[in-house]
Amino acid sequence: MRDFALIHLNGVRREVRGRDALMMVADWLRSELGLTGTKIVCAEGDCGACTVLRAFVRPGSDPTAPLNFEMINACIMTVAQIDGSHIVSVEGMRCGDELSPAQEAMRTCHASQCGYCTPGFVMAISGMVERHAQADARTAANYLTGNLCRCTGYLPILEAAVAVRATEKHSVAGRYSNAQHVADSVAATSQSMRIDHAGVTLVAPVSVREAVTYAALTPGTRVIGGATDLGVQVNKGWSLPSALMSLHLIGELYESKITRRGVSVGARVSLAEVRRMSEGVAPEFARFLNLFASPQIKNVGTLVGNIANASPIGDTLPFLLIAGGEVHVASRPGGKGAVQRRSIPMTELFTGYKKLAVEPGEIITHVTFDRTQPGEMLRLSKVSKRKDLDISAVSGAFSVTITARGRASAPILSSARIAYGGIAATPMRMTDAEAALCGELTSERIERVAQMIAASIAPISDVRGSAAYRRVIATNLFRRFADEVLCG
Amino acid sequence: MRCFVVDESSEREARAAILIDSGSPTHDSARTHVTGESVYVDDRPMIQGSHAVHSSSGFKGELHCGLIYSPYAHARIVGLDTAPALRVAGVVCAVTAADVSHNRWGSIFQDQPILASDEVHYVGEVVAVLGAETKEALKLGLAAVVVAWEKLPDIRSIEEAVAAKSFIGSERAISVGDVEAALARAPHTLAGTLDIGGADHFYLESQAVVVYPGEDGQLEVHSSTQHPTETQHVVAEACGVPFCDVVCIAKRLGGAFGGKESQAAPIAAYAALIAKRSGRAARLVLSKDDDMIITGKRNPFRISFRCGFDATGKILALDAMLHSDGGAYADLSTAIMERALLHCDNAYSVANMRVRGQVCRTNFHPHTAFRGFGAPKGVAMIESIIEEIARVVGRDALDVRMVNCYADGQDVTHYGQRVEDNHLPALFATLAQRCDYRERREGIRSHNAAHAVTPNGTLRGLSLTAVKFGISFTTRFLNQANALVNVHRDGTVQVSTGAVEMGQGVNARIATIVADAFGVALPCVRIMPTSTEKNANTSPTAASTGTDINGSAALKACERICGRLAALAIALRSIPPELWASKTAGLGTMPEISVGDGATQHGTDEQRVAFADGHVTVTDRSGTRFSIGFAELVREAYRNRISLSDYGHYVTPTLGYDKVKGKGRAFLYFTQGVAASEVEIDALTGEVKVRRVDILMDLGRPVNHALDRGQVMGGFIQAMGWVTTEHLVYDDNGKLTSHSPSTYKIPSVHDTPRIFNVEMIENEHNTTNIRGSKSSGEPPLLLALSVWTAIRDAISAVRGDAGVSLAIPATSERVLRALTPKAFAACEGLSR
Repeated sequence: MRDFALIHLNGVRREVRGRDALMMVADWLRSELGLTGTKIVCAEGDCGACTVLRAFVRPGSDPTAPLNFEMINACIMTVAQIDGSHIVSVEGMRCGDELSPAQEAMRTCHASQCGYCTPGFVMAISGMVERHAQADARTAANYLTGNLCRCTGYLPILEAAVAVRATEKHSVAGRYSNAQHVADSVAATSQSMRIDHAGVTLVAPVSVREAVTYAALTPGTRVIGGATDLGVQVNKGWSLPSALMSLHLIGELYESKITRRGVSVGARVSLAEVRRMSEGVAPEFARFLNLFASPQIKNVGTLVGNIANASPIGDTLPFLLIAGGEVHVASRPGGKGAVQRRSIPMTELFTGYKKLAVEPGEIITHVTFDRTQPGEMLRLSKVSKRKDLDISAVSGAFSVTITARGRASAPILSSARIAYGGIAATPMRMTDAEAALCGELTSERIERVAQMIAASIAPISDVRGSAAYRRVIATNLFRRFADEVLCG
Repeated sequence: MRCFVVDESSEREARAAILIDSGSPTHDSARTHVTGESVYVDDRPMIQGSHAVHSSSGFKGELHCGLIYSPYAHARIVGLDTAPALRVAGVVCAVTAADVSHNRWGSIFQDQPILASDEVHYVGEVVAVLGAETKEALKLGLAAVVVAWEKLPDIRSIEEAVAAKSFIGSERAISVGDVEAALARAPHTLAGTLDIGGADHFYLESQAVVVYPGEDGQLEVHSSTQHPTETQHVVAEACGVPFCDVVCIAKRLGGAFGGKESQAAPIAAYAALIAKRSGRAARLVLSKDDDMIITGKRNPFRISFRCGFDATGKILALDAMLHSDGGAYADLSTAIMERALLHCDNAYSVANMRVRGQVCRTNFHPHTAFRGFGAPKGVAMIESIIEEIARVVGRDALDVRMVNCYADGQDVTHYGQRVEDNHLPALFATLAQRCDYRERREGIRSHNAAHAVTPNGTLRGLSLTAVKFGISFTTRFLNQANALVNVHRDGTVQVSTGAVEMGQGVNARIATIVADAFGVALPCVRIMPTSTEKNANTSPTAASTGTDINGSAALKACERICGRLAALAIALRSIPPELWASKTAGLGTMPEISVGDGATQHGTDEQRVAFADGHVTVTDRSGTRFSIGFAELVREAYRNRISLSDYGHYVTPTLGYDKVKGKGRAFLYFTQGVAASEVEIDALTGEVKVRRVDILMDLGRPVNHALDRGQVMGGFIQAMGWVTTEHLVYDDNGKLTSHSPSTYKIPSVHDTPRIFNVEMIENEHNTTNIRGSKSSGEPPLLLALSVWTAIRDAISAVRGDAGVSLAIPATSERVLRALTPKAFAACEGLSR
């Protein structure tokens, strides 16, 4: 059992123990190592000032493969959670006195004013450059979704991002893929980890069996995936739960596969990867995930985490509710005997506000959902104050199958599925409305179903909008979808 | 609909030429910004013993400070006990109101306690400060403080304040002509009420300060403040030490936008009180949430107006009453109201006008300066009135604007100042042509006509608005600045001024001004951290005057040094180099050269001196030249005991505004600009997308074209957030619930319009300000009102003759409500 997290920071090996291991990465960089280029602004993963690059060496991966650097928010993850990672902060970008291409472009394009967001933008552009030697404006903007700037109006930053040209010399993967370091990471991450400090214990088992055994014997254990929400809660004044279990060392949970029926996604599979996988089997879901969260969050946050968080406005939940989603859980009651597994349909998962039908001692290992069928028309939509990287006021998922055309070629629907988030204490399927929608689609029918939806939801008024607004847009999203079906 | 002929030939004649950027130096910190080496307050290393020895060794490391603040909008403090916190291991000290030497501060009226003692008047009002050795101990200590509150009735809206006559300061008015008579005569009139919300500054670097106690009671304060002098004074008074024992230093700020003009001072005082009490360095860095809850915002306004106009849309009379929400204390709100009244005309001449303003006292955080400083409210009013007039008279709003625009023969403001160097007609005509306004108007009309057929689609709107922003503090005595210039013997220069660098590039501009004055390369000039020990009695870096007044002061100092160097160069010309002081001064074999006041930086009538390309060149009447390297001349000056340092004090000329009468010259000059914004509204969700923005500014002859372009784009997008997505939401206790970026949505990279053209006109004739430049700090912010008026324009395609009432910010919900009020009425029935 290891008592340290193994981190390679800007090419230097660090074993991080105790108090330091339970610090947020950004705090650790700034206050323990004096690397103050990484800034902390919102401490909730919404502004990107803390962006660093991270290459995670998965348990059992090939030590000779080059590292794959992705941007993450350093302010909402503890050091223990990035165990096995190679981290590059803004201080690691320069080659001697020579600025990296991203730094040079930001400088010459007048892309910094007050400079406080600048290191975060440099790292986001650097993360982009690792994938795209040269990017167009749309790609660049997508990589910068998770970074806020209050001075420039963004245009000079976009101009810089588009002007950057990757060079071999400055490739982060090239500079920091040290074979010995990677081999060290692979060796370390094959061992379980346990961090103890000031009444908090964080364990990281290496197998599902070890995980469910620990969960059975340590009631109250909080399981963390990407923990993008837990980190925020800790920064905003909560204390770390006393028993934490991170699943980052369990190789099985990184598995995802496309089956004949649909997709199976392990608990540690990032949203970024889910988006890539969905492109072929559920393209509308892939498109929708572009609006969801920032690249930094998507590189860390997981689909299972979005489900387990059980928020009524979890953006993926309406889709999973109508796409045959099921969560698969494992447990080992009493810590004895064989590992038991069962499935829970998404439609039965949410039992109340932030409550799931998952029993104590059970952990979610993976989630499955169905592929979009030929002939199925699927639309996912959300409404928020700001289009990108904003928590939705209402989100909706709609799917119908058209079997025939009726009078005046009006479509006849054989099945319909509708689900919403943000309209009640849990995300909800609208089964009555679904039944009423089947049959020949007419304007009258659409209006009748819209009224049913308006009457059957129970939204609240809060910072994101009034109850009346939520009702109006919930029905309007349906109307837009129905019109689209009607017009073919 | 009546038909008006657009006189395109006169528009063509009026057009201006576009200024080309011939290469601008980067921000002076651009390199350290991108490497992460730029040091901000909280990047200063903690003075700390190692953790192992920390608690037992007696090492007096730096303390983390934390605040206890009110959870109620108005409450009596029944009990406040910090003793339980002091029993927490690692908590070192606590201060409350009783520990504050002079417990009152305020930039205009001293009406606000540093730490509240009997009552609190807003959520976030601070009652106690703790100092602890670790953040963990601080968290436990803050949780252990016991406060008993007794809730009191509160005022949480402008209406409630008006009804209760809860006011700050007295009503101010500016009046010209006979409004009532003109309204009675006007062929058309309209009246309305406009609600304008506040906005958070959302500077990325939250309020931060580190205070180092020195010997004999002295304090060194490193603060993220726009106003080091006020911060110095408030700290000194709170701690009961003379001003001479406090030095306040502001190296750079991670954004400020007005939010650190007054409100950085009490924050600094909190840390200073802990430093003084403990004798240890003390650091206070607010979390974004606490910063947003505690500090004041842009003042919300409610404006009622009546307007009379003729069939061409010419405004004949305007009567307006402006109420602002000042929050619980005066702060800068009365000055902000003053600027709002001074900008109710914006770009338009109104012969009969009466504008009155009254600040209301409510139970919110004390609202404060925010880029634009009241002016955006007055401008929002008249720009929306013009949109409404255009609908009534059936003309395009651009034509109504041009009818009313300041021009020859109608160029005197309601407060009696003439609009000099006026480029507004040319700006309107030039931008209308460059952005294809008329053609796009037609396209939008047909796009919206299709909406009647498919009501589930999108609506588009287009609007072209203007800004005429007065540059100067409206309080006359603030319009002064000082600068210290030290030339070193390698020919490099250090400059210290009262200007605070907060991203706007004031340092880079002053460096250019100084480098050009000495004729040296830009890297030879270093702008030093702003410090009250070098520049005392300074004004805040605010009101867009940073470069104007501090650059002018620096130039004055440079000119005096150049005058002495010019005289020396003239003298050296007639002395063989082997007899110069560099060869002889050590031996004392030659007489010393002394220079009087005979020469200016240009030399004398007989011998002209030029400083350029690192050389100083003397040219006599015959055209014979003598040239010497700048650094070499500096060394000769030193050895002849000629001062290489100087201090400049600048006073903005010509100002004379009587606030009581509301008449006089309030501003040195006006910065002007125009912007055209096109928006698209999703008719089913109310979501707004800004499709295209074109901006054209008159910035005189910019000192740095690229930095000015940055100010224009940044200011515009900042206010685009204010008028669209930035919504301050308070709960029933008066607590801000949108206190972080997850709930308070400033624009993201995707909100920057795909087409975003920013240009400036050539203006070779302006001589008023330093180098003929015009400030770019605040004015472009007001142009984002074109986004709001464009949204109104799009909604009017549906609402038609009903007119459009749309508050700021125009959130998706408000837009959708304006588009489909019936749907909302139906759903509100369901909610009940």
